[in-house]
Amino acid sequence: MVDLSQYLPILIFLVIAVGLSAAFVFLPMGVARLTGAHKPNAEKLSEYECGFPAFEDPRSQFDVRFYLIAILFIVFDLEAAFLFPWAVSLDLTGWPGWITMMVFLFELAIGLAYAWKKGALEWD
Amino acid sequence: MLQAFAFYLFAALVIASATFTILARNPVHSVLWLILAFFNAAGLMIIIGAEFIAMLLVIVYVGAVAVLFLFVVMMLDIDFAELRASFMKNFPLGIAIAAVLLAELVLGIGAWQSGGLELGTASGEAAPLLGRSNIESIGALLYGRYLFLFESAGLILLVAMVGAIVLTHREGRAVRGHQDIAKQIARRPGDATVNTRPESGKGVTL
Repeated sequence: MVDLSQYLPILIFLVIAVGLSAAFVFLPMGVARLTGAHKPNAEKLSEYECGFPAFEDPRSQFDVRFYLIAILFIVFDLEAAFLFPWAVSLDLTGWPGWITMMVFLFELAIGLAYAWKKGALEWD
Repeated sequence: MLQAFAFYLFAALVIASATFTILARNPVHSVLWLILAFFNAAGLMIIIGAEFIAMLLVIVYVGAVAVLFLFVVMMLDIDFAELRASFMKNFPLGIAIAAVLLAELVLGIGAWQSGGLELGTASGEAAPLLGRSNIESIGALLYGRYLFLFESAGLILLVAMVGAIVLTHREGRAVRGHQDIAKQIARRPGDATVNTRPESGKGVTL
């Protein structure tokens, strides 16, 4: 069973982070609402000086190669995640476990070689 | 006490962010709420002692799958006006799916009302190893007993990778000026410059 008390600092950190960020967001909003005049109109809410009206919808179709990179990232991310339990349990699994992981790594190395050879890792 | 506090914090945040995932009008906002739900689910996993699952949730789901969702949502180029127009067209189908889900809920609550479920206790080879951490138990099972399933998982990953490359990679774009780094490094000043002594009126031949 996991000793949960070692996660206590993370929980404390989380509570402090959430509290601080909530304070930074909502405190100025509340203070401004309570102390200032709130009379918005179209001119006040429009962009000025540093902002400019958006030219087009930000959601446009972009290159499918981003998707390919993301898929490859997921595959190798999983490969790395599988290495953690393998590394800590090697004394239990022994040589069969070691060979299993080497075969697994070889399988994905074939995929990497294929991607490299096809030029899928290049961007022009 | 603190554990209960953490549980209720994470559980409430999971439910809240899942609700906002459904209710958000902007699909990008939905994905961001989904990421928050994944984070809180990882917290719940840590509370029940499944550290490795929590790590996987953060690394794989938050780090990779959520990014993929974001890509898909950005790439879909959703036209909201058209979506609203087809709302009435798909209304019967939506009602049918809602009815099915309601029936499932009623069945589930009915099954729960009829008595507690006998889940049994973890024993035998699937039980966590005594004196070992959760991640070591997973490793011992995954690379000991289920090693062929693990290898086939690797093959499935390979197929996914090859499939993604075949579907998205277009040939012909790779034909371009290719940089040969070894050739660049092997180049010497003597290869690059030539000294000539042209006679007057003859010019230089290169």
